[in-house]
Amino acid sequence: MSLQRQVIAPPVPGLDAARSFAQPMSMVVRGGEFLFVSGLTAVDPQTGERIRGTTMSETDRILANLKLLLEAAGSSFDKVVKVNVLVHSMLEAPNMNEVFARVFPEPPPARTVCGARLPDGVKVMIECTALA
Amino acid sequence: MREVIAAPLPGLDLRAHYGHYQSPAIRAGGLIFCSGMIPVDPHTGERQHGTLTSEAHVIFGNLKLLLESAGSSLDRLVQVHALIYDSIEYDVLNRVYRQYVANGPPARTVWTAQIEAGFKIQLDVIAAA
Repeated sequence: MSLQRQVIAPPVPGLDAARSFAQPMSMVVRGGEFLFVSGLTAVDPQTGERIRGTTMSETDRILANLKLLLEAAGSSFDKVVKVNVLVHSMLEAPNMNEVFARVFPEPPPARTVCGARLPDGVKVMIECTALA
Repeated sequence: MREVIAAPLPGLDLRAHYGHYQSPAIRAGGLIFCSGMIPVDPHTGERQHGTLTSEAHVIFGNLKLLLESAGSSLDRLVQVHALIYDSIEYDVLNRVYRQYVANGPPARTVWTAQIEAGFKIQLDVIAAA
């Protein structure tokens, strides 16, 4: 038996970071019951341009964009299973956590946070797996 | 359907101890997704800093508790992301890792990253429920 694999188009062109930054990836792919969302960085959903801010403001923007992508795929924050957060420095993890706690409903998803060298001066990158 | 797997012992509730806004694990679609596992005392939640080897032993012990409480086990691991603080420890990781995934080891990716609280290793895993 083979499960369905389907690329889910972003609801607005600005959220298509794959196109904006010419990356060979899809933003959201459905595989079976799951949605796999590519690592998101802070962009303006209208223009697709990078938004540079603090760890907190970038997290806030990314999660708002993630919500739009999930909803376009028929999912939502309460169906998120697992989130991986990459921050530019683990000293900033509590700031990311604060925004994360404000935005995600109870009970929270499983999550892994680590510090990583991110491209293009990005402070946070968030990838996620959700139920479709 | 999404189901939260509660911490089987109080020390494994990182949200209660450290304010991490996350569930210990989530069961969904026949899989169990665990939050990043760090070496903490499963009873007290106290951080257990040590060598990569000693930290890995604590993590695998905690992972066994968590997975078994959810009806799974270390034998049912599907995918492992092993985050280590320095790639120089790659062989050290393998030595301890082998002891826990003796038969048909899971898919695995290893990379170096900054791990919270200066830990040397963190495991991020998915298991079959």
